[in-house]
Amino acid sequence: MRGPVTEEALHAEDVRKTYRSRGGPEVEALRGVSLVLRRGGRVALLGRNGAGKTTFLRIASTLLIPTSGTIHAFGFDVVREPERVRPLIAVVPQEGKPFFHLTPREQVYYYLRARGISRETARTRTEEALGKMGIQEVADRLSVTLSGGQRQRAMVATVLATEAPLMFLDEPTIGLDPFARRAVWGVLRDLTRKGSTILLTTHYLDEAEALSERLYVVDEGRILFEGTSDDAKRQIGGTLRVSIEDGGGQRDLFRSFGHTVEEGNALSVITGPEKVHEIMDLALRNGLSATVGPVTLEEAFLTIVGRSIDEE
Amino acid sequence: MAFGLRWSGTRVFLATEIRVQLHEWLAIVTGTLTPGALLIFVAVLAPGLLPVTLIGALVYSMFLIGQRVLNEAAYIRIDHKLNELYHASPLSPEGYFVGIAGGMLIAYLPPSLLILAILEILHPLSFLAIVALATCLLAVWAVSSTIGYVVSTLFKDMKTIWPYSALLTNLFGVLPPVFYPFSRVPTEWRSLVLVLPTSAAAVLIDAAAGLEGVTVTQGVLAAMALAVEATALFAFGIYWARRTARER
Repeated sequence: MRGPVTEEALHAEDVRKTYRSRGGPEVEALRGVSLVLRRGGRVALLGRNGAGKTTFLRIASTLLIPTSGTIHAFGFDVVREPERVRPLIAVVPQEGKPFFHLTPREQVYYYLRARGISRETARTRTEEALGKMGIQEVADRLSVTLSGGQRQRAMVATVLATEAPLMFLDEPTIGLDPFARRAVWGVLRDLTRKGSTILLTTHYLDEAEALSERLYVVDEGRILFEGTSDDAKRQIGGTLRVSIEDGGGQRDLFRSFGHTVEEGNALSVITGPEKVHEIMDLALRNGLSATVGPVTLEEAFLTIVGRSIDEE
Repeated sequence: MAFGLRWSGTRVFLATEIRVQLHEWLAIVTGTLTPGALLIFVAVLAPGLLPVTLIGALVYSMFLIGQRVLNEAAYIRIDHKLNELYHASPLSPEGYFVGIAGGMLIAYLPPSLLILAILEILHPLSFLAIVALATCLLAVWAVSSTIGYVVSTLFKDMKTIWPYSALLTNLFGVLPPVFYPFSRVPTEWRSLVLVLPTSAAAVLIDAAAGLEGVTVTQGVLAAMALAVEATALFAFGIYWARRTARER
């Protein structure tokens, strides 16, 4: 199912969610999240634990009702028309596991059939998904006998085989080895080429960078940043990082060259290519060794979220 | 779509649940242990009560299906998060509930058929008695499945749920006259046990099988109570499944 013709796969406007527990304090999990996912895009939500990523994903996938705000999937109101949205979406829940007393082959096949996919297509897609996720060899063993990584692959295969127009993946590669993670990335890229839209959460920033065309950094229920990973890196004042060993405590010496970060004994200066020479010179003249590398998304993420924490 | 009910995916989800249970065949076999043990006691101590106890075993087994619904629904929600996989899909919430309840009923039917076969040998049932038996057992299944499903949605960890499972089984399956004759119940308690779904079912089946006599008033009270409870509770189960498919 490819979904109705609309350029926007998901459109969220000022979505808020406050959890109220009896006797406990109110928790504002989302404080006005707005975002638009264009059809066929791959977007990552990044944030610390408890930032509100999963809450947003659960609202967008019809599993949780927001306190206020509007959210539409392919033009359908997620809150008021969940039965029209559900055929168009699929979800890998956080920490989800397949039925332990089904084999991965049965798990994928039965799930596709429950979604109304024909027997023949379900069989073909099941074999494809098991193959792409590299679990064909264990496809006839009960999931209870599989390793955690194999179970996770079975879970991801179950959802990716749906080829749903809009997929929500909540930390889909957690516990997977680097080969399996790359297999998932490959399948996700294929799916978006075919027209599916992917919204994922992850704590692996290399994954977010490799996979997502657009990133949203969320903290305490608000979006702090929206853009590409290069945009995120530019936010911290440069694209290169000069790491100066034993430079800790010498911040003043290098401060004029850009944003500085002390990590134990080392000092990192975030700067542009035009200043690298000068910094290296200064470091060497002071008997300090220095190395140059590109700024990572992790540094950008830490800076964006850290800045927000400092402001509070 | 009567009453706005949607059944998309129900048949396949029911088949999924049956498949899951068949892979756990040992649980199905051990499902006969409790009623089986009671039958042995009765066969040794009071063989004349064996047909009543066999009917009790059928009612008890049907009530146990509700406890299995409780455990399965809680397990796949709390431990596996599979409810989210299915609720965010075209499978309707009512189909999810009926799939679990129906899957358990079908998967755990063989032990009940075995008990029924023994009953047929010891005390052959008339056609009317068989119809009464099937109807009453179905009503007990509807009641117990709903109780099981609703309770499964109320808690956030499995350990909290286990005591409720044991409590419900004893409250509905052991205390009231399910395994023993209605005539042994003190008169002042009889009206109460006639409105409990399990004892109402046992009393009606015993009467239809000619094993126990009940007055017309008692029969009507038991039948009405069971019918109302089964219909109202199952309808509530569907409502609850739809309500809890989305958290608030």
